Amino acid sequence: MAAFFQQVVSGLASGGIYGALALAIVLIHRATGVINFAQGEMAMFSTYIAWTLTTNHGFSYWPAFAVTLLVSFLGGVGIHRAVIRPVERGPQIRVVIITIGLLLLLNGLAFWIWSGEVRAVPSPFPAGTIDIGGVAISWSDIGTIAVCLTSVLVLSAFFRFTKVGLAMRAAAVNPSEARLVGVRVSSMLGLGWGLAAMLGAIAGMLTAPNVFLDPNMMQAVLIYAFAAALLGGIDSPIGAVVGGLILGVGLNLLGTYVDFVGSDLKLPAALLVILGVLLLRPAGLFGKTVVKKV
Amino acid sequence: MNRKLMMTCVALVVALALGVTAAIAGTVRGGSDPGITDNSILLGGTAPLTGPASQYASVARGAEAYFKYLNATKGGINGRKITYKYADDAYNPAQSVPVTRQLVEQDKVFAIFNSLGTAHNVAVRPYLNAMKVPQLFVASGATTWGRDYAQYPYTIGFQPSYQAEGWVYGKYLSRTAPGAKVAVLFQNDDYGKDLLGGLKRGLQRSKVKVIAAQPYEVTSPDVASQIAKLKASGADTLAIFATPTFAIQAFQFANKLGWKPKHVINNAVASASTSMQIASSAGQNKLVNGTISIQFLKDPTDPKWKNDPAMKLYRTIMKKFAPSANVADPLHVYGMAAAWTASDALKKAGKDLTRESLRKTLDTFTATGNPFMLPGIAVKTAGKDHYPVEQMLLQKWQNNSWNSFGGLWGYRAS
Repeated sequence: MAAFFQQVVSGLASGGIYGALALAIVLIHRATGVINFAQGEMAMFSTYIAWTLTTNHGFSYWPAFAVTLLVSFLGGVGIHRAVIRPVERGPQIRVVIITIGLLLLLNGLAFWIWSGEVRAVPSPFPAGTIDIGGVAISWSDIGTIAVCLTSVLVLSAFFRFTKVGLAMRAAAVNPSEARLVGVRVSSMLGLGWGLAAMLGAIAGMLTAPNVFLDPNMMQAVLIYAFAAALLGGIDSPIGAVVGGLILGVGLNLLGTYVDFVGSDLKLPAALLVILGVLLLRPAGLFGKTVVKKV
Repeated sequence: MNRKLMMTCVALVVALALGVTAAIAGTVRGGSDPGITDNSILLGGTAPLTGPASQYASVARGAEAYFKYLNATKGGINGRKITYKYADDAYNPAQSVPVTRQLVEQDKVFAIFNSLGTAHNVAVRPYLNAMKVPQLFVASGATTWGRDYAQYPYTIGFQPSYQAEGWVYGKYLSRTAPGAKVAVLFQNDDYGKDLLGGLKRGLQRSKVKVIAAQPYEVTSPDVASQIAKLKASGADTLAIFATPTFAIQAFQFANKLGWKPKHVINNAVASASTSMQIASSAGQNKLVNGTISIQFLKDPTDPKWKNDPAMKLYRTIMKKFAPSANVADPLHVYGMAAAWTASDALKKAGKDLTRESLRKTLDTFTATGNPFMLPGIAVKTAGKDHYPVEQMLLQKWQNNSWNSFGGLWGYRAS
């Protein structure tokens, strides 16, 4: 039984990371209506900034954390300004393709600047583990999930209770009418990119102490994050995190107790989740089905 | 976002996740050998300059530095200066094929040398052999290079085979830890499977058993779940047959779970001391101490070679011809050892160098005294034995560096 719970705990920890990145994907989708394929690489890039600050510039963890969030926010807004805005009004597929270009660009840049060497990134949480009935739970796992849940609460509150949040939703759902009532649509979309980059930075900094930092760190995570975002409903922040946790635990248990899945078929299983959700319940677990008049 | 676009996105995710393979077709040409003049030899190769295995790019850079040194101080080989042109395949076999064809057909290289990766070299092997282009010193320890020599006579490997390496670990455990229960984490491809197979061969008829083995995919984000399963098996020895990132994770997760296997064996050694230092979290992860691995090269961080003339030469070459590279990275030594051997073979193939004369030279070949390899290790082929390097030393991770111990181990893969 201890083995079962150990798998659940390890699944929750991975799930928290999928959820954190899924949250960033959901945020951009909610704010701008597109899927950002470069989300993982943006997170990786931010993590490198944090690593450089702590390793080469003598920052301690939390100042580096704050500076990274700020830089990421500005970077997100900057990316939106520079490459997304010019094509925003065209077909969505153009934006999607630009984000794929960004993925390759950021990945190549990271290799060029920091080389492919594996780096250790400090964790903000204590190193030890607590033992509950033979199940080892590390503080960093608990911290990851806690940060993830906090982010989702803050984000939901932001969208629901603040004027800016409401304006962002309006700008995404119906740009022309939002503009009529005085919402500065383009700034709202830029804000969405900035916030998503910030969330991505958090996801990256949570992931790196566990999986170690290299330029490809987030590529595998990204696919699971997509699955998590879709499972929870691509528009629902809470759904993204819950989807991440379900996916993390589900895949671990599947790998442990279903022989032919094993550890090798986890990725196909995640892809199957994406496909299944889109075919059976496109709105996901927490999403609302959108009906459009044509 | 509408459903159609969503489906397009899914298709893109699938494409990103899987990658595609390309077919190859080769044609045979006659005529004189390209890539060679009275004062030059052009060698080509593929290397992962970007992508998931870009740490291994140092293998090509080390070799390049050695050729530059040779050109500058000795005027090349038999009066011919060597140019080594390596191109990026992003560690993707589907890219190795067109890149290699380009090197052969457009750049007109004399031979392919030191291309990295198992699947990558397997993908271009039929083409190169059909074109009769030597595929020199493949940077991979798969057994197929030596085993399938009769079918692909233009291809030759270099380093000890993974099977031999696994066998050495098996023998070492059966001698030093009778009754040990071994858990194995391995990469789910030829590389991990050859190591696991070798380990099992080494353990035959001994009291040591492999009681659990867990594969992982290179595309997975981490190996936490596998380590939890291996711990649950009750094993007291952990063998990690993985690439550096996953090996580091394995050490970290095992430590986190409070698992303290007695002997830990890994092969992340190839890429080095830096990975081991990260794995040990600057000495905090005690699990890493006493880790066993193999080596056939001189490790630039091993204090034993501090005043060794060859390693002094190595540092001088690096300083002059690869000034921005990390001198402590042993993969540069690997590249130099391969380049040294290639130079030796080219010299022995004679003044009238052709692809055919090079192949014949390597057919029965002995090169002793490679300064970058551990003393006593020879590069040798003869008759049916086409495994150039078959000897190695065991080494232990202690006091933040690898320390070799014991005598030479040798094993012929099959």
